[in-house]
Amino acid sequence: MIVAAWICLLSPLVAAFLITLGWNRLSRRGAGYLATLSVAVSFVAAVVAFVDLLGDKPDQRYHASTLWSWLTAGQYDFGLRIVVDPLSVFMMLVVSGVGMLIVLYSIGYMEGDNEERRYFAYMALFVFSMLLLVQAGNLLILLVGWGLVGLSSYLLIGFWHDRPPAIAAAKKAFVMNAIGDATMALALFLLIQRTGSLNFENVFTQPIHGSWAINLIALGLLGGAVAKSAQLPLHTWLPDAMEGPTPVSALIHAATMVTAGVYLIVRTAPIFEQAPKVLELAAGLGAITIVVAGVIALVQVDIKRVIAYSTMSQIGYMFMAAGLGAYPNAMFHLMTHAFFKALLFMAAGLVIHALAGEQDMRRMGGLRRLLPFTFYATLIGSLSLAGIPPFAGFFSKDSILAAALDHGWYGELLWVAGMVGTFLTGLYAFRMLFIVFWGEPSGFVREHLMARSHAHAREGHLDHDGHEQHMHSGEGPLSMTSTVAVLAVLTVIGGFLQFAGVWTPLTNWLDPVARPLVEASGTQEAVSSILAVLLGLGGIAVAWFMYGARTTAAPRVAWAQNVLEHKFYFDEAYDFAFYRPAVFLAEGLGRWVERPLVIGSVRELVRGVGLAGRDTGRLQTGLVRTYVLAIAASLAVLAIVFVAVR
Amino acid sequence: MKGPDVVWYLCVAAFLFCTGALGVLIRRSPLIVLLSLEIMLNGANLALIAFSRHYAQGDGQIFALTVMAVAASEVVVGLGLIVAIARRKLDLDVDKLSTLRG
Repeated sequence: MIVAAWICLLSPLVAAFLITLGWNRLSRRGAGYLATLSVAVSFVAAVVAFVDLLGDKPDQRYHASTLWSWLTAGQYDFGLRIVVDPLSVFMMLVVSGVGMLIVLYSIGYMEGDNEERRYFAYMALFVFSMLLLVQAGNLLILLVGWGLVGLSSYLLIGFWHDRPPAIAAAKKAFVMNAIGDATMALALFLLIQRTGSLNFENVFTQPIHGSWAINLIALGLLGGAVAKSAQLPLHTWLPDAMEGPTPVSALIHAATMVTAGVYLIVRTAPIFEQAPKVLELAAGLGAITIVVAGVIALVQVDIKRVIAYSTMSQIGYMFMAAGLGAYPNAMFHLMTHAFFKALLFMAAGLVIHALAGEQDMRRMGGLRRLLPFTFYATLIGSLSLAGIPPFAGFFSKDSILAAALDHGWYGELLWVAGMVGTFLTGLYAFRMLFIVFWGEPSGFVREHLMARSHAHAREGHLDHDGHEQHMHSGEGPLSMTSTVAVLAVLTVIGGFLQFAGVWTPLTNWLDPVARPLVEASGTQEAVSSILAVLLGLGGIAVAWFMYGARTTAAPRVAWAQNVLEHKFYFDEAYDFAFYRPAVFLAEGLGRWVERPLVIGSVRELVRGVGLAGRDTGRLQTGLVRTYVLAIAASLAVLAIVFVAVR
Repeated sequence: MKGPDVVWYLCVAAFLFCTGALGVLIRRSPLIVLLSLEIMLNGANLALIAFSRHYAQGDGQIFALTVMAVAASEVVVGLGLIVAIARRKLDLDVDKLSTLRG
């Protein structure tokens, strides 16, 4: 089992190295196949580890393995250590399983790009980083994986490095994540100081003394989780990250990265449980993010950005669940979300692919008949997103809402936010669906999909995604459509893994690692489910009247529209609060400190040395006899002094 | 074996040294300067050997041998330089050979 876990971890890393070293000797397709194969190996290894773990008794499902001592400092010793327990195996399965499908999809999507090999090397590195994060056996290795995930997301978001917005987005993601990394590192320092170790079993079993210390540690960890999972107030990088290739967005949003924050909270639950206020803060942040992201999603016109905001909103649900102590519900939603969000992104990728890189929804329309497969895939994904039974999202989201009801007045407040979120989800998801797929095909769509001969004439042009246009029959190559189909099936059946109150294998499986703090009653479950479904349907109905049937016009309130299109002015506020003062300070320091003091003093020093040199040089006459006289005279003086002093 | 007192030897040595030093200081031909240097070295050698005999120790003699070896090599280098200067048809005058000034 340990061997399987190591294979699962290292396989994508090996592939990344092989692709990097092989470079031109490897064909472009070969790189894609190699990356897919390596992640598939990871998935198989994860399954093997899972089956092995099933054979153990539930309370003995914890195996750690240290490869070598990685960092030794004084009395502290941190090994390259992985842990195989129900939680890490669960994450391994989700990451490698969904990751495999996404990498396979990329083979079709990225075909024709100039730098496919670099792309697949990064993808493999990304999967490796995420696996390292979820398999880490101590918090230091977890932080290493955490940082590597940030790095690979930076590389992939900025993959099209000749496009300035992509570079800016990559930098933004990196900086935002670095804030989280920093707070997390500080929390770990404090943890080392308090417990003398970072190994999970030591850290989690040892009570930490001092309420301020435990609160600070939990806050630091929460900061990291919030940054990585794009929750308010560190969320601004996520929508911009849409500048990357669509499969990258799918990977970041579905299988890796943004779910890392949820994983961290569930993994370090024993620490968070000692700081209940921080846990409530996490739930609150999640609830605020649900509503804010849902509202912003209503006015987005970029198809990928709508899905990006829906990710923020859905991660908000997971944060809410984790913050309430409903860990299995959070993990369950993480899994179903991975399915339907990957499905939505990849379906959007099919649309973008078919329309030669166009992402603006205003130019789309009427794609239902032209791309029927894509339409049904998006429909399934959207229904699941809106939490309509029997799709996966229904089971996981409603159990979170039910758990909120079991947490006093605060929980009820969160519950209301979650319910509002459900309505918004139905509204924005189907707004996107109706705009893109309903109605008559727009001129732009006709040009691209109906007049093939016309499109042929344009072949060879670089499209929006930087790769050459290529004609394909149907809705995309097999590697793309097949993976979308698999995810659609998973989205339909994935939810039946757990049915609250009746059938709870996932809760039982995770029980040894993360025992839930709340237990929703049957009534709470029923009330939440029925209300959530009704609100979701309500959202869909409103979307239908506004964007499908177009019987009512969408309400236009100028100021609200303005606020939403500026995403509540978060970017502007950060710009004003941090960027401007920093630039101002730097310019001031440059003008008043660096130029006069640093550069000035160096210039003076240079002048002084030059003058001294010129003056000493004058002593060097070149006349040998003068030197001899000088030597003789000084010797005479020395001799006289010597004699006289004695 | 009795000879003159060590003071006499030292007087001769000092006389030789001063003659050499004077030669180095006032003569302008590099050949003569080298020659005067040799005289200075020999004066020093004489003093070394005189002390060696006075204290009945071999150190001074060994040192004198070393000085001779150094003097020989120095002459080789010096004469080589002088020949090189003469070949380039430059004036053999140490006051005019002052291109190494700062």
